[in-house]
Amino acid sequence: MSSNINTIVVGAGRIGANIAKKLQKENMNVLLIDKNKDKLTKVDDFSGFVEAGDATDLSFLEENGIREVSRAVFVTEDDNTNIFLSDICRKRYGIKEIYIRLNDSRKIKIVDEEVRCICPFDLSLNEFSDLMEGEGK
Amino acid sequence: MKIVIANGKHSADYIIHKYHNRYNDLIVINNLEESCRYLSMNNDIPVMYGQATRESDLREAGTENADLFIALSKSDMENYVACQTAKKLLNVKRCISTVTNPKNVDLFKELGIDSVLSSTYILGEQIRNAASIENLINSLSLEDEKIIIIELKITDRLRVEGMCLKDLGISDIASISVIIRGQKSIIPNGNTQLMADDKVLLVTNEENREAVLKVFKRKK
Repeated sequence: MSSNINTIVVGAGRIGANIAKKLQKENMNVLLIDKNKDKLTKVDDFSGFVEAGDATDLSFLEENGIREVSRAVFVTEDDNTNIFLSDICRKRYGIKEIYIRLNDSRKIKIVDEEVRCICPFDLSLNEFSDLMEGEGK
Repeated sequence: MKIVIANGKHSADYIIHKYHNRYNDLIVINNLEESCRYLSMNNDIPVMYGQATRESDLREAGTENADLFIALSKSDMENYVACQTAKKLLNVKRCISTVTNPKNVDLFKELGIDSVLSSTYILGEQIRNAASIENLINSLSLEDEKIIIIELKITDRLRVEGMCLKDLGISDIASISVIIRGQKSIIPNGNTQLMADDKVLLVTNEENREAVLKVFKRKK
């Protein structure tokens, strides 16, 4: 894989695909990874790098330049995988800027405080509260 | 000892069976209803149906301050998060995780899991041991593989047969703790001679393992 990739996104679901596109529009070199090849082919309007494989296998990540990236986004459907990947990337590769998705926001407590967590459930709840407050005015 | 057994079916059943006695307080948690039923029926023990990766479920099961936490799920990632939750949030003293992918053994240890076990990893080590020396019976690693206990059988085809321990030249890198000769066990000194059919138990460390085993190679 050619280097100068600076951002790696793992999980090509709707969130992952859209984050990858957004970063690419901001002229970043993005690599999007998913273990399911079909998901990667379904991502349209994205001309960055894609690679199918198991991100929990470190040799796969290393082949794809994990040592060189400065930003990592882990948004697979499995919270446990996202937490594990954030721990290993911080500890072994020293990646400073890490974002993960957590479906269960209670798991934030075991995530390192430097890792930024995206919790869809909490975001929806906050949005609902804001909307309801707006109604009340 | 307070032991928590998280997930697993047959593996959990085996551990429960082995440690379910008046000396241990066993806590069993499982995320599959069917496994819960199987484990509680087989062992006459309460089994909590819940997620071992969720702090609240672990707390409710009584995990806090446990001496040992054993993660037996088939999912390595689930075991990892369960162990970290037990350690970071519930003050569990020691965690053991099984892993399906042998590559995760070193990785999990690097990330702070106390002991990590993979049957494939152990198989790999056994093959390495068996391949390096034919008369090696057993090898046991302690303290994260820093200390190694090796059991060897002396045969008349070995260079060292008939030699005194002090002449082996390994006193700096290994210690022969005991020699089993027939029914007797001998605590050896430098003048003890090695004889065919002796079983030798020696203690060494990882750095010196190969050098020690070299001494016990066959005659040319």
